Amino acid sequence: MTTLWDTTGSAVVKELAAQRRTGGAVLSGVALTLVVVADESRVTEAEEAATHAAEAHPCRVLVVVRRQIDAPTPRLDAEVAIGGRLGPGEAVVMRMYGRLGLHAESVVLPLLAADAPVVAWWHAPPPDQLSTDALAVFADRRITDSSISDDPLAALKTRAADYAPGDTDLAWTRSTAWRTILASTLDSVSGRRGEPVVVRSGRISGDPGNPTAALLAGWLISRCGCPITVEEGGRRPGSSGVDSVVLELDQDEEVQLHADRKGSAVISQPHRPDATVALPERALGDLLSEELRRLDTDEPYRDALEAATGVTGLADRSPVREYVWVDPAEENADGDHPRERAAAKSPDS
Amino acid sequence: MIPNPLRDPRDRRLPRVPQPCALVVFGITGDLARKKLLPAVYDLANRGLLPTNFALLGFARRDWADQDFAELSREAARKHARTPWREEVWEQLAADITFVPGSFDDDAAFDQLAATLGRLEGSHGIGGNAAFYLSIPPAMFPTVLKQMQRTGMAESTPERWRRVVVEKPFGDDLLSSRQLNELVDSVFSADDVFRIDHYLGKETVQNLLALRFANSLFEPIWNGHHVDSVQITMAEDVGIGGRAQFYENTGAARDVLQNHLLQLLALTAMEEPVEFSPEEIGTEKLKVLRAISIPEDMETFAVRGQYEQGWLAGERVSGYRQEEGVDPESTTETFAAVRLGVETRRWAGVPFYVRTGKRLPRRVTEIALVFKRAPHLPFADTDTEELGNNQLVIRVQPDEGVTLKFGSKVPGSVMEVRDVSMDFLYGEQFTETSPEAYERLLLDVLLGDATLFPRNAEVEASWTVIDPLEEFWAGTTPHSYRAGEWGPRAADEMLAAEGRRWRRP
Repeated sequence: MTTLWDTTGSAVVKELAAQRRTGGAVLSGVALTLVVVADESRVTEAEEAATHAAEAHPCRVLVVVRRQIDAPTPRLDAEVAIGGRLGPGEAVVMRMYGRLGLHAESVVLPLLAADAPVVAWWHAPPPDQLSTDALAVFADRRITDSSISDDPLAALKTRAADYAPGDTDLAWTRSTAWRTILASTLDSVSGRRGEPVVVRSGRISGDPGNPTAALLAGWLISRCGCPITVEEGGRRPGSSGVDSVVLELDQDEEVQLHADRKGSAVISQPHRPDATVALPERALGDLLSEELRRLDTDEPYRDALEAATGVTGLADRSPVREYVWVDPAEENADGDHPRERAAAKSPDS
Repeated sequence: MIPNPLRDPRDRRLPRVPQPCALVVFGITGDLARKKLLPAVYDLANRGLLPTNFALLGFARRDWADQDFAELSREAARKHARTPWREEVWEQLAADITFVPGSFDDDAAFDQLAATLGRLEGSHGIGGNAAFYLSIPPAMFPTVLKQMQRTGMAESTPERWRRVVVEKPFGDDLLSSRQLNELVDSVFSADDVFRIDHYLGKETVQNLLALRFANSLFEPIWNGHHVDSVQITMAEDVGIGGRAQFYENTGAARDVLQNHLLQLLALTAMEEPVEFSPEEIGTEKLKVLRAISIPEDMETFAVRGQYEQGWLAGERVSGYRQEEGVDPESTTETFAAVRLGVETRRWAGVPFYVRTGKRLPRRVTEIALVFKRAPHLPFADTDTEELGNNQLVIRVQPDEGVTLKFGSKVPGSVMEVRDVSMDFLYGEQFTETSPEAYERLLLDVLLGDATLFPRNAEVEASWTVIDPLEEFWAGTTPHSYRAGEWGPRAADEMLAAEGRRWRRP
């Protein structure tokens, strides 16, 4: 591991190449580049998650931390680590000060693995319009996390308004375990009946302000075409915001799934005894790892997002994002997050 | 109409989960069950891939209480599981595990098993579906199968499925395998029989199909115009362990060549299947197996060997004849190498050298396609002295991946071409720890997906290849090789006779 203080992008490229040469058994090829945009306060968490994900999907991890955008002189500090504390692969953590933060892509572009997909992950509040961040424009896949926003449901709406194929949100990833259990429960009902199942209506009990609960409801609505409500549950649900799901089926049947708060869910369905299946809380790295598994458009997410937010026409969005230049300095001079504010004022949002 | 509105083919995040069912394991206390099956079931549970309603029934000749059995299976799963240990997952799974003691010829025990299965249908909601895993010596098959027939456990009906899983060896020659197949087929219908060849559950073997049929780069040169020869190696560094009794009657050819190696050969040589379905892949594999020709000069091209004492990995190991339980005069082979041909337009004239052995220097399985030399080299002879044949190597295990070997200029002022290799290491691009073969295959059985299981006809076609070899070898003494060597000299001479040599894996 080498730390370069007050350095340049080309010095980082050289250092990475030098470490690859001397490192011995280093990766000769990587499947993708993961660009992590993190707040200083969340860097450790992001690094940990990226390290975990890199173990499952060898990738080059580039962490971009933008600090003090209003600092008078631009400056780059970089830490280059191969097979070190950031997992078995190659990792570069870059802290950018001053106006360099607005041109992060100038440092990141030469560091991308050749002709491999690029995934950008914001472990920070992302700009309202992703295309105001050049890092989002060249990324093939963009991962946001609505749950870290102050108003997650509003953040979800913003994501729907800004959606382009290739976008995804960790709030959606948190619903996978529930969706798996729901789908296999209905499999078992239709298997028993020997004929199709129709969902008439359903309700989710949990935290109505949780984006995962909202997306789960959206998914059920988009798949079943019936109303699904999210109600306040009596207990504080886990990170998925879902405590139980009840689906009313045709033939007057009903299935119920309850999280038992011990890492499992109990399934109740007609003509079958209750069954318990694993429903563990998943770590951030695990969620990120799931996201890296597939790099194509996630249509079920798109449909769920559409149904959850009421924003329509997502299927017609172009996958190409055009970079929109925003200069926060022109808008104000003394904010903590001038970029965000600038993006909020951009004409499209 | 879609049976389940929540299933969406575009939704690749949701795993395939089997219908509610029971898994019944005969011989649950055996080595395989403890080291592979129980851990695989735990790993499946941990990954959330077991059905919502599931029951595991163990049957064995032990006088155990449920408690003892639970303890044993917990230890086994914990020790050999691939995924991290989560006590709560195990506790849920343990609630679904039942042990039925009894011997295989005991009618009462089987009646009890059938009754238990019936009871689980209600209490665990398994809906009558069950897979029976015969983790027992083949000699026991007839007894167990007849018991299952007698108690009506083997019948599939439109409301429920019943499947049976059979481990190799599938017989020990064509005749006995036919008898075994007839026996199994008389109890279960052919579609419900799953023959496990765990090699086919390996990620790299499945990747072979992707490599060949998803790319445009390899298929044009995947034939006798460009390929000089193919070498398939499966080497083990271990000896026979505690399996002397089994091995004495089997030998390397029946144990490995007949199933794993011929399956790998079939996947390497087969034509493109019409679609990626069990039937179509089976059809193409069968065509290859039927087209295999054995050498006319068996003396040279069918070599068997037996290891003598030697040094391996820094330790002295004893010879095969000195192993416990082995006849000191034994003529069972621990190494077999054969030159096979595939009589099709694509492969006519290309030798397929296959070899397997125990106590070889390292554990490795690979398929190597050795390409023909360039027809003309515009360089001086001295420039290309170190240039060998181009090779494409599929490393099945360990270090799963693909290597491409080709010539490259050595940096410097003179023109000198030397072999270099380009490596694709599975673990580098996807370290998503590949599921254990048993985990994958067990899941496929419960899902009813037969893509990775050899069919009856394939097993019989394979025996047709092996039988004449065994006939030739009968009564001869295998060549000897020192433990820790790459087989007997005769195996090297076999390739040298045609101007080739084995690749060192």
